[in-house]
Amino acid sequence: MARGAVARPGRAAPLLVGVGFAALLAWSWHGTAVDLPGLFGGEGLRQVATYVVKLFPPDLSAGAWRDAATGAVETFAISLIGSLLAVCVGLPLSLLATRTLLYRGILFEARRPGPGARAVRVALYAAGKAVLNLLRTIPEIVWALIFVFMVGLGPFPGVLALGFHTGGVLGKLFGEVLEDVDPAPLEALQATGASRFAILVYGVLPQALPQFVSYALYRWEVNIRAAAMMGFVGAGGLGQRIHIAISLFQEHQLMTLILAIYAIVTLVDALSAFLRARLV
Amino acid sequence: MYELRGIRKVFADGTVAVEDISLIVGSGEHVAFIGPSGAGKTTLFRLLNLTLRPTAGALIFEGQDVSALSDAGLRRTRTRIGTIYQQQNLVGRLRVVHNVLAGYLGRWSAATALASLVRPRDVAGAGRALAQVGIPEKLWARTDELSGGQQQRVAIARVLVQDPDVILADEPVSAVDPSLAVSIVTLLRDLSHESRKTLLMNLHSVDLALGHFPRIVGVREGRVLFDVAPDKVGPELLAELYAGHRDEELQLEQLRDGKVSFGAACRPLPGFRK
Ligand SMILES: Nc1ncnc2c1ncn2[C@@H]1O[C@H](COP(=O)(O)OP(=O)(O)OP(=O)(O)O)[C@@H](O)[C@H]1O
Ligand SMILES: [Mg+2]
Repeated sequence: MARGAVARPGRAAPLLVGVGFAALLAWSWHGTAVDLPGLFGGEGLRQVATYVVKLFPPDLSAGAWRDAATGAVETFAISLIGSLLAVCVGLPLSLLATRTLLYRGILFEARRPGPGARAVRVALYAAGKAVLNLLRTIPEIVWALIFVFMVGLGPFPGVLALGFHTGGVLGKLFGEVLEDVDPAPLEALQATGASRFAILVYGVLPQALPQFVSYALYRWEVNIRAAAMMGFVGAGGLGQRIHIAISLFQEHQLMTLILAIYAIVTLVDALSAFLRARLV
Repeated sequence: MYELRGIRKVFADGTVAVEDISLIVGSGEHVAFIGPSGAGKTTLFRLLNLTLRPTAGALIFEGQDVSALSDAGLRRTRTRIGTIYQQQNLVGRLRVVHNVLAGYLGRWSAATALASLVRPRDVAGAGRALAQVGIPEKLWARTDELSGGQQQRVAIARVLVQDPDVILADEPVSAVDPSLAVSIVTLLRDLSHESRKTLLMNLHSVDLALGHFPRIVGVREGRVLFDVAPDKVGPELLAELYAGHRDEELQLEQLRDGKVSFGAACRPLPGFRK
């Protein structure tokens, strides 16, 4: 091969991937028993309509108002503190889940770690990834059940549940951002004799920060919805009240609570958009 | 300062960037490297600043075989070698002051480095370095808001702050206009002369190299084609060096025909890194 010549990639691969994907799609459609007539056909639709009519008018008495407002504030607090906890959990773990900070890439070109040291570092990476996978694959609602069992009812288990699940999600995303930063500035910092820590804070994090903020804000938007859901298993907030209202057939109060969720989700989306515009 | 014996660098994808280079550079020497795009000049400098490891051969810095250095030893040695990169390699989102003060990172403790990001240490020193390269007013600007030429000068200011024993300058004037190019090359040369630094510079522009350096090394296809005084570099040697590379041949023709005056033949932007 001539100096610098690069082999041309093959053409069979994209076709295979396309056929495979189509097969997967067909199989999934079949497996989920998609039944469009059943969804829009007469009986189901009529039942939904009668229930929706019963929701009106919303209960606007002082008591219902106060209850909805307290629930909304609680749900807001759960989502905010839970998301902050998630950043605190995800950030340190993401450093472990970044190969380019542990054993490969430009920071390890001049002197590769010996086989022993490398094995330790690869194991650290694998452990970091494994912990993040575990945190992430267990859904918030399951975490909430676990924590309600451990620390009792109320908003606190909700905060922990969001922190653990979202911590796993953010850790993975942060790790991908960290692996993706431009290595050229890192090489230049390393050439001055900078330590790996100095390279991290001067070169890696400044490049990664905008995406970190963006991901964290997006997950906050997701979490406000999740925080409302988790009340169903006793983890505080609007969800807990909705669960009670449904169980006791208090349809008018239920409508008030649904309006409260709508308001608070809209509020968080707006806040997040505002912060994104300011910070990113 | 440097002793290279049979240095070879093969990248992970099999590209042989440096075939076989042997070279001795004395302390305080000024050497210009010229050669066509892809000859391996940048790779050679990355080997010399100890960020890449040779695939084969021995690299001796100040009597020390660098392959024997520990992590800490490597870091200590790197503080004595300052690099100005072809693609400025700055952290765009940081302010200029931090990019310049990054020259201190080899000497600062972790705590000092961190604290300086909040409240910069030695703002005066950073200001002086920027004044030397002619952009003192950019101290607090965001680095990615500067023009290519200004960023190149920030990179030079960082090396001034680092105050190393060797300066490796990889096309330090590729993004600035010709008159500024001459003054920057002159600045680096005089400064290295005064403080007895060794200066190695990659240059695309042959006339800048011949006009400012007492020793010219021609690199082609990862080997040293010639290593001579500038008055020995004639048209035949240059034609051989650049054979098959149109851009550079054109530059030579223009030089020969007197269409371009001395110091004006810098290419605005060299080849991008692959
Ligand atoms: N990281 C890398 N991986 C694979 N090949 C590389 C890498 N870096 C450089 N090369 C290849 O090595 C060869 C030499 O590149 P190098 O950048 O050292 O040349 P150069 O002389 O500095 O060129 P220019 O004058 O254009 O800057 C080129 O063929 C290039 O494609
Ligand atoms: Mg180059």
